[in-house]
Amino acid sequence: MAEFYGTTVADIFNTMPKRFKPEEAKDEDIAIGYECKGEGKWKVTIKHGTIKVEEVKGDLKGCATTIHAADAETFIGTTLGKIQAMDALTTGKLRVVGDVKLLMTLLPKIFVQYTAPEKKSSVVAKDIISTITERFRPDKAAGVDMKVGYDLAGEGGGKWTIVIKDGKCAVKEGLAKDLTVKMTMPAEIYVGMMLGTISGESAFTSGQVKLDGDMMAAGATSRFFNKFVDPNAKASEAEELITIKVTNSINCRFATGTAYGMWFKGLKEKKFLANVCPKCGRTQITPREICAFCRVRCNEFVELGPRGTITAADVVYFASPDPLTGAVRETPYAMCWILLDNASPQEAFCFDIKREDLPKMKVGARVRPVWAKETKGTFTDLLYFELDK
Amino acid sequence: MKKQSAKPAKAHKKNRNVGIVGIGMTSLSSHKEDQNQPEMIHEAVRAALADAKMTLDDIDCIVHGNMELFEMQYQPDMWHVLGSGAYGKDEYRITTGGTVGATLVCAADNLVASGLYDTVLAIGFEKLQEGNTTGGITNMADPLWFRNIQTGALTGTTAAMMIDEFGAERAKKAAMKYRILMDKHAMLNERAHRRFGLEYDQAEDLMKTSPQLVGELRLIHMCSQSDGACAMIFTHEKKAKKVSKTPVWIRDHITVHREENMSNLYAFEKPEMTHHYAARKLFERNGIKDPVKYFDVFEMYDPSAWWGLDWSREFLQLKGDEHLRMLEDGEFDLDGKLPLNPSGGVIASNPIGATAMLRPAFAALQIRGDAGGCQIKKPVRHALASGFGGTLWTVLMMLEKDLDW
Amino acid sequence: MAAKRVAICAVAQHKNDSDLWYKRFQGMLLDVLEDLQAQTGFDFDSETGVRSIVSCSDDFFDARTISNNGVTDVLGAQYRGEEKMAQEGLNAIGYAMAQILAGHEDLVLVMGHCKESQPESRELISNLGFDPFYGRALGLDCLNAAALQARAYMAKSGLTEDHLAEIVVRARQCAARNPYANCREIIEAGKVKGSPMLCDPIRQLHAYPVSDGAVGMLLASEERAKEFTDKPVWLTGFANCMDSFFFGDRDLTSNFALKGAAERAYKKAGIKDPKKTVNLVEVMDAYAYQQPMWMEGLGFCKDGQGAQFIDDAGLGKYKVNLSGGMLAGDPVIISGLYRAANAALQLRGEAGDMQVPDVKCAVAQSTNGPAGQFHSVLILEA
Repeated sequence: MAEFYGTTVADIFNTMPKRFKPEEAKDEDIAIGYECKGEGKWKVTIKHGTIKVEEVKGDLKGCATTIHAADAETFIGTTLGKIQAMDALTTGKLRVVGDVKLLMTLLPKIFVQYTAPEKKSSVVAKDIISTITERFRPDKAAGVDMKVGYDLAGEGGGKWTIVIKDGKCAVKEGLAKDLTVKMTMPAEIYVGMMLGTISGESAFTSGQVKLDGDMMAAGATSRFFNKFVDPNAKASEAEELITIKVTNSINCRFATGTAYGMWFKGLKEKKFLANVCPKCGRTQITPREICAFCRVRCNEFVELGPRGTITAADVVYFASPDPLTGAVRETPYAMCWILLDNASPQEAFCFDIKREDLPKMKVGARVRPVWAKETKGTFTDLLYFELDK
Repeated sequence: MKKQSAKPAKAHKKNRNVGIVGIGMTSLSSHKEDQNQPEMIHEAVRAALADAKMTLDDIDCIVHGNMELFEMQYQPDMWHVLGSGAYGKDEYRITTGGTVGATLVCAADNLVASGLYDTVLAIGFEKLQEGNTTGGITNMADPLWFRNIQTGALTGTTAAMMIDEFGAERAKKAAMKYRILMDKHAMLNERAHRRFGLEYDQAEDLMKTSPQLVGELRLIHMCSQSDGACAMIFTHEKKAKKVSKTPVWIRDHITVHREENMSNLYAFEKPEMTHHYAARKLFERNGIKDPVKYFDVFEMYDPSAWWGLDWSREFLQLKGDEHLRMLEDGEFDLDGKLPLNPSGGVIASNPIGATAMLRPAFAALQIRGDAGGCQIKKPVRHALASGFGGTLWTVLMMLEKDLDW
Repeated sequence: MAAKRVAICAVAQHKNDSDLWYKRFQGMLLDVLEDLQAQTGFDFDSETGVRSIVSCSDDFFDARTISNNGVTDVLGAQYRGEEKMAQEGLNAIGYAMAQILAGHEDLVLVMGHCKESQPESRELISNLGFDPFYGRALGLDCLNAAALQARAYMAKSGLTEDHLAEIVVRARQCAARNPYANCREIIEAGKVKGSPMLCDPIRQLHAYPVSDGAVGMLLASEERAKEFTDKPVWLTGFANCMDSFFFGDRDLTSNFALKGAAERAYKKAGIKDPKKTVNLVEVMDAYAYQQPMWMEGLGFCKDGQGAQFIDDAGLGKYKVNLSGGMLAGDPVIISGLYRAANAALQLRGEAGDMQVPDVKCAVAQSTNGPAGQFHSVLILEA
């Protein structure tokens, strides 16, 4: 199993149940398939707040949406945010069959973001001991005369004596006979203490560290040395950058003015009211104060439609979030340009087409509006257009 | 009431010539959390000053622009004074939308040519990562109606129209070829943001499998979202000749806007496209009969492969399938008749407020011979650069190596 | 350097109002445009007419990315050049001047609008003008920034609450003669001193009222101005200047930016002593303390002598804000356009009840950013 960014594909799936947020997924009922080339296939079944993660041999069956990664690096990188998901999708290294939106909406909602497991430091006790003389601070050790012994058991461990005398410091292999103090502990505890991941105090009190000799001397030794810095840890610290997240929102009250006012009044009466340019005859929908081409006011209104002909159609598969609410529309949906009956040939009207009619929708098709039961003179009065059979 | 003269005004003659003498840009990437806004701007400003071998003492005036709702910073030039260098100087903040970077160049040209300022520094930037871009663009629409419908800058109608005109196979192939050509150019341009290393034999596969955004507009066709800043320094002829061995001259520019409402773009009768109108007027008044022959490079603002390809016909005043043939025959390649976007274009790098400034910046680097890996081999003397924004707004400008027009 | 000149051929103002709830700003601009065309007869012919429009508006106040996109049609900008001054409106005139002096254009239309009544609070917007890490979190906005400056300036200049009341009372007396001003009711000093404290020391009547407005102007090259007017107003100098951002880096009472802008604008116009040459001044007085303070920055009053200047009737002597100024109500973003429009009307002798005789040279000033971080100065001559 290949490792990238300190993690494997299996790590990601194995931690899924732990990262799952049942409360957020209580209304969900979906199976998602994952394929990562060279690593395997997984099926994740989410049903009413429960989750089942299984590795699959053979084909992914019964999955509403399947996600395919070209290699482990892509899968792990995009999961960790080290590789832009958009870039991976663009180049086809990451592919989604089914609902692409899941990646941006459902998954971030029901899972805690995966983070790579704390990388165990590759530093061993021997490495730390070897830096002792260079970390020594003669100014702090003036007049000190002592020998400190370390007996560190386990991998990377060993026995050393640190001799401090006349403002000088030396490290010798093995334990001297006349030690001021001897400390015995597992090597990994020593490393943890030096890196600051284990508290020295609790290591002493819990008995993991054994002291023979002058306890005060043991306590004093840290003063004589600069702190040990893990050379591997440096890089990851530098990556920790600071951002703050704020949503700014200012309420507004928009005037409609007379032109838009007429438009909304028309909607309330289930009518499409356009205003007409007195010069070029363009029927403006939605109405605005002037005809931009002729630069004259348009005060006369005419009723258009209600039926019309599609002049252009956009099927939207990727919906951007509503800038005000952050909500994302269900996809696919269609934005159609419709030349309403009685309109001049220069102005089409843009609106949604009924979802069920998407497969049959085409340029030239005839459509009719479907209105809300109760119209109030707002955007929501008009539900959609449907094919006029 | 007086009567406006019916006679055409006298030919517009520039009060004095203006040269580009400094170009600086930050790296362009999707993340810049290691810099705040003024710091990012300052990086571009320093780069431009270094390029011009100038200090801030040489600058009389700063021109600053972006789209403030993308970062939600009101009058950002106030805070940005910490990085823009405007302290104690004259400063203008002029914006137009996606076109803003190109508008800043036009503004700097006007300010220097007017004689009001000798040396002007223009800064375009965007930190898209600090806001929601598509949401920000949707915010552009009329709040009473169209904002409820629009999906940012995405539309598949150009693809649909091209498929209608040239057949699905040829149109889709051409869009992919355009896309991969841009990536090949980006691979040569060390400054570009997205460099995928695509090969032409991937076209068939990508055009089928790349996720659909809107209609046949797929993710692979679309431009990137980048953070970055670009700064340029402009000065008058006398000083430009003194301080620079290779000043690039701004010959002329035109801005063409249209109304917000897009109803008349998608009906049966369509008006002349703004891009076509802008190019026609600009070429007319500068006596350019055959733009493909005249220009040595075209840096076009191409938000997607479909738009880029379609608009090349409008800007270059081509007819029928001439633009497709140019692409298919390799005439837009680096060694073709008219190299198109040697920088990799907007598809490769798109820090919106800087994007339209990167077009003349990259074009000017080509004229100077400083374009690095994407330098066109034959001499570049005449360059065309475009900006795009708003509802099909356009800014088009001509840059020259020599003062000989 | 340029011997060429640029003229304002006509100005048009929309009446300022506290809440034009029934009118879109598009409709307001269209009224202004039609007014200008009726005065001058210009059109948008692609060869002989207006081909360039410099607009002025704000994305935050309009609640739209690219606010100029919503008004392109009513600016007449269909298939024409249009660029938005995303700063205080006086700079739109400065930039339009540059377009003409550059030779790129010979006619430029300047059009600005702002509806302060649309957002729920202008202070919420100006809070977003501070850096997102410190200033915003601290709750700074343009009002409390002004209060900090007011307190510091009052300490330095000896300006008192009585002076502030006197300034407001005078502003309203002037506004009563200006048909385009928002608040034209004449009030007593007691009412000013009794008005609620907004942000100490700024009381409600020391601050400009929430306003909706729109302004337009036609600018032309010297050669073409005569086609549109017999009374051109010549723009002979313009400059602006930027101060630093953090208050800790600034001396809030120093007028650093205004002095820089004024010095450069006077130099361009060849003015050595404004006290001798300038007959009329329009300053952007969002808050009452700013009238004497900006007059110091413009060189009409000695440093730190604001109180003395008021006591010596300096405001009357230099004909400051005969329009009623911003204190009588016009929106931010385009206050500078109102200032210049009023100065131009005086120079043309068309200021109606506000008109004073023998105005040959006028100064219009505007400011932008918290506590006057940025200032602009325009010199207009008959």
